[in-house]
Amino acid sequence: MASPPPSSSEAAAPTPTPSPSAATAQALGGELSKNALKRELKIRQKEEERKRKEEEKAKKAAETQNAQANKPASADDEDMDPTQYLENRLKYLAAQKAEGINPYPHKFSVTMSISQYIDKYESLEKGEHLEDVSVSLSGRVMVKRPSGSKLVFYDLHGGGFKVQVIADASKSDLGEAGFSKFHSNVKRGDIVGVTGFPGKSKRGELSIFPKTFVVLSHCLHMMPRQKSAAAAADANLMKDPWVPGKTRNPETYILKDQETRYRMRHLDLMLNPEVREIFKTRSKIIAYIRRFLDNLDFLEVETPMMNMIAGGAAARPFVTHHNELNMRLFMRIAPELYLKELVVGGLDRVYEIGKQFRNEGIDLTHNPEFTTCEFYMAYMDYNDVMGITEQMLSGMVKELTKGSYKIKYHANGIDKDPIEIDFTPPFRRIDMIEGLEKMAGLSIPKDLAGEEANKYLRDACLRYDIKCPPPETTARLLDKLVGHFLEETCVNPTFIINHPEIMSPLAKWHRSKPGLTERFELFVNKHELCNAYTELNDPVVQRQRFAEQLKDRQSGDDEAMALDETFCTALEYGLPPTGGWGLGIDRLTMLLTDSQNIKEVLLFPAMKPQD
Amino acid sequence: MEALKLWNLTSQPLKRHLLHSTTSITSYAFRRTPRTLLLRSSSSSSSSSTASSSAPDVDKPTGAASRTAGRNRRAPASPTTSTSDREAVRAIRLRKVEELRSKGLDPYAYGWEKTHSANQLQDIYRDLGNGEEANGENDHVSIAGRIVARRAFGKLAFLTLRDDSGTIQLYCDKERLIDDQFEQLKAHVDIGDILGARGSIKRTEKGELSVCVLSFAILTKSLLPLPDKYHGLTDIDKRYRQRYVDMIANPEVADVFRKRAKVVSEIRRTMDSLGYIEVETPVLQGAAGGAEARPFITHHNSLGRDLYLRIATELHLKRMLVGGFEKVYEIGRIFRNEGISTRHNPEFTTIEMYEAYSDYQSMMNLAEEIVTQCALAVLGKLTLDYQGVEICLERPWRRETMHNLVKEVSGIDFSELGYDLEVAKKVTLSTLGNNLDAKDKASIEACQSVGHLLNEVFEVVVEPKLIQPIFVLDYPIEISPLAKPHRRSIGLTERFELFICGREIGNAFSELTDPIDQRGRLEDQVRQHEKKRAEAASRNADKKEGTENEDDLYEVTLDDDFLTALEYGMPPASGMGLGIDRIVMLLTNSPSIRDVIAFPVLKVQQ
Repeated sequence: MASPPPSSSEAAAPTPTPSPSAATAQALGGELSKNALKRELKIRQKEEERKRKEEEKAKKAAETQNAQANKPASADDEDMDPTQYLENRLKYLAAQKAEGINPYPHKFSVTMSISQYIDKYESLEKGEHLEDVSVSLSGRVMVKRPSGSKLVFYDLHGGGFKVQVIADASKSDLGEAGFSKFHSNVKRGDIVGVTGFPGKSKRGELSIFPKTFVVLSHCLHMMPRQKSAAAAADANLMKDPWVPGKTRNPETYILKDQETRYRMRHLDLMLNPEVREIFKTRSKIIAYIRRFLDNLDFLEVETPMMNMIAGGAAARPFVTHHNELNMRLFMRIAPELYLKELVVGGLDRVYEIGKQFRNEGIDLTHNPEFTTCEFYMAYMDYNDVMGITEQMLSGMVKELTKGSYKIKYHANGIDKDPIEIDFTPPFRRIDMIEGLEKMAGLSIPKDLAGEEANKYLRDACLRYDIKCPPPETTARLLDKLVGHFLEETCVNPTFIINHPEIMSPLAKWHRSKPGLTERFELFVNKHELCNAYTELNDPVVQRQRFAEQLKDRQSGDDEAMALDETFCTALEYGLPPTGGWGLGIDRLTMLLTDSQNIKEVLLFPAMKPQD
Repeated sequence: MEALKLWNLTSQPLKRHLLHSTTSITSYAFRRTPRTLLLRSSSSSSSSSTASSSAPDVDKPTGAASRTAGRNRRAPASPTTSTSDREAVRAIRLRKVEELRSKGLDPYAYGWEKTHSANQLQDIYRDLGNGEEANGENDHVSIAGRIVARRAFGKLAFLTLRDDSGTIQLYCDKERLIDDQFEQLKAHVDIGDILGARGSIKRTEKGELSVCVLSFAILTKSLLPLPDKYHGLTDIDKRYRQRYVDMIANPEVADVFRKRAKVVSEIRRTMDSLGYIEVETPVLQGAAGGAEARPFITHHNSLGRDLYLRIATELHLKRMLVGGFEKVYEIGRIFRNEGISTRHNPEFTTIEMYEAYSDYQSMMNLAEEIVTQCALAVLGKLTLDYQGVEICLERPWRRETMHNLVKEVSGIDFSELGYDLEVAKKVTLSTLGNNLDAKDKASIEACQSVGHLLNEVFEVVVEPKLIQPIFVLDYPIEISPLAKPHRRSIGLTERFELFICGREIGNAFSELTDPIDQRGRLEDQVRQHEKKRAEAASRNADKKEGTENEDDLYEVTLDDDFLTALEYGMPPASGMGLGIDRIVMLLTNSPSIRDVIAFPVLKVQQ
């Protein structure tokens, strides 16, 4: 049994610390508020934490030095050139196969995950060993620290957790010579299975002491080195787990190079444990939306990704060709028209979560394929849908952040302080035209479809030096002005509402404001997150709107919408009054994971071809 | 008798509308494309008389008068009538739209507060006796839906309203309706309109639960006549092209999609409860791998490169395992540039799942779990009828090797045939010769290896017989480039396919993790494909035609990123793909994949 006295006295030491600070507070006249007291305490705790870390660092450094002094032959190849390394590994595998050994075993029976193992045995005492228990764990070796030929320490990573493996020749089924030979061939990055007993090292680190040790899959490449012992310690997510809404700093990652991270996501995931949390968060966001809509009796459906006409939005589509049918097909740019056809067919509440495709450039917020959720809800209007949006997003933020409506986001770059975005409902609402007139001091002619309005807006853009690349249609001019004056103010979630008809060919005209529609866009951190409206269901008006789009198209706006005859016919059978809504899931995930680049939230983002 | 009264009631306003119909048709037509205008002018003069007599009937598929008219409409002798019917009805109803507006009523309302669905009401008032009314404070309800039938008497009208959940009758009594709403009902409400209604609850003497209407509003005026049931069922092409018409005419069609949603959601629930994480991998890829199929090609303008649409999710999901995820799945669309049939649509939905540290045995259990859970969720039982055949999904399902199944059905024991391809072909042809057609014989002759031959024989003689659920195990290595070699049998892999009703539902293996073996096998695959391609190309050069039907002419590319990922070490794992469309077909007793895909791809309309 380990001898407890020194540690217990250590443990006792921190306990009295609060009283001195309380005393200090009193010494200062007892005037310190509770908050100040708390702050003081925090500072102290931080200081202690820092000291502890430094000590640990020193210990670790000593360890590494030790290990290097002991200098096992295997550590050498870490300095090897990568090609040589790969060749050596291939030779080793070939030799194994020649001996009739399968270097890739079919199956290893795992009895528990590393996180379960930690939960179960974390409470062991320092130096305590449970020799009659047998556990099988598996994972990837991320750190190897040989200590002589009879003892090797490994860090085994799996499922976002880490445990130490203490391979001791005396506890192994292999003989001493066999042990040394075997472990010299276990490399950093290998996937291994170990069967042994649980215990804690003398230093108190939970470990597994293997009787058997199998390499299940080999890492043939040299793993990028962990930059320091401190980083290795951080790698254990147990200590300070990242949760959605907190900031991230990829600059501190072990693997920093963006190209490598995005092109070789498997390496990124292996070396930067936080990355795994981004994709778990993404999965949770989608699961939350699904649950939310399912609870409102929505039906999830699938509509085609390949169409004869790319409708429902204004964007350049991908084109492909069906050989046997000899048919040109477009990848969808939005599921909207199909979903409304299903509402006509009698499915009153439908949604689809899926990929959309737009043949556009790639930048910080655009990837050629991206994921949206669209829903359509019969007998609802855009006011109802605004309420649903507030409820969904605020509820989601609160659940994912574990209790807060606020998130931190590096809106101004990773080197600036993060901003706070507050999702507390209700969200701010700005009437688009009124808001624009107020903010920009304009008085826009009421007939937005007319030539006068176009000229007025052209002048306004000129006056404020706002560039609008041609064609200067009224819709595009307005869009630029709104971007400049209104969207810039929308950091906390804000609805910009009541867009003009000319900007919204699928939205219903406003019930009381001529020339406008019942539409809203939700902006967060100055970016559009949702777009929704009371759906236009008058087939005659819908055809007119398509005709106007055609006019814009002819004047050079190739992003104007195309007419879909099947859809218009569907409207003639009667679409009930319906509220419709679309959300960009990638952008929402970016906000909740403090990502400034859409590539951070896509497992395999589109990349330029490598030469 | 009732129907005749109804006719009396509605004929008056309709006649009046018909007087206006020609003008409104013309004005409307001008607003549309010139092509439509031509269509109109070619038929309007010749059929104006038929239109006036039959158009009103189109609104009322029920009742004696309409039955005759309906038959007329479908009579082959008058092909133009049905178009002109539609146009006439559209004109009349557009007129009504104008009238409603002129009265200050909105034919396209902005919303409606519903308190109940039709089925909820049927449920709540299950015990209300015939002739009884419920008129308490809580019995004032509000509903909305589409009018699918109407009958009217002097001061009474009965409408059938259908919503998402079911149907309920609207009992409209002139005395009870506010203001002049009864007149408005007669003048402006047609079958197909979407109505909102408020009132109390009453069960008629005949036992029909009804909402006794106090007030109503036309929420959406429909412009086109609803097809009757027979029409919807017979015109198969239209059913798929205009799915909404199909769904309005045949409410059971919507049930298929409700069940589809249930299947997908049940699969998700099962995976989530087992700790799997759902991920999304790209549809657009630089190399289309993970299966053997002709991919769709597209072009990305700003990158200036061609991209393929994925033909499987496999290779990217395996990269997730390399990255340290231990249980992942993706439910998503797959695209294959192949012909369309009752079993194939160019885009279809699969789930692929991968689990580290497991092998194909555990995937069999998972397949059983998923399919039975879906059956219970949709059908509530494990026996089902598929196109007249009873299928039993009780676990465990039979597990048998491909070798044994071929031996069982054909008598050929491939395990004794050895590796001599020519001998094996001879034995096969002499044993099966009489039962094979020319195409099968040619395929057998073309086999490049004993493994291919075994699979060919399996597909020809065994597959159609696999009606009850069965796992076919241990496929030859030659046709399984991504599966791990069998731990005991040389030349085979640890792979299974799940068959139900003679159809492949799933495909799974212990995943190949050895990057050297994997590279060799994929390179072989590319070489073989290139060889076939060269042969096909030279055949085409000889014939100088028919290139379009050559399946082998597409390019196969090696996914180097995947191979590199394997070199970083993928844990031992198993993976499985299941065809969701096929599971839904099975559980909804649908003969064609087009019945379970809301908008299937169809040939271009002539």
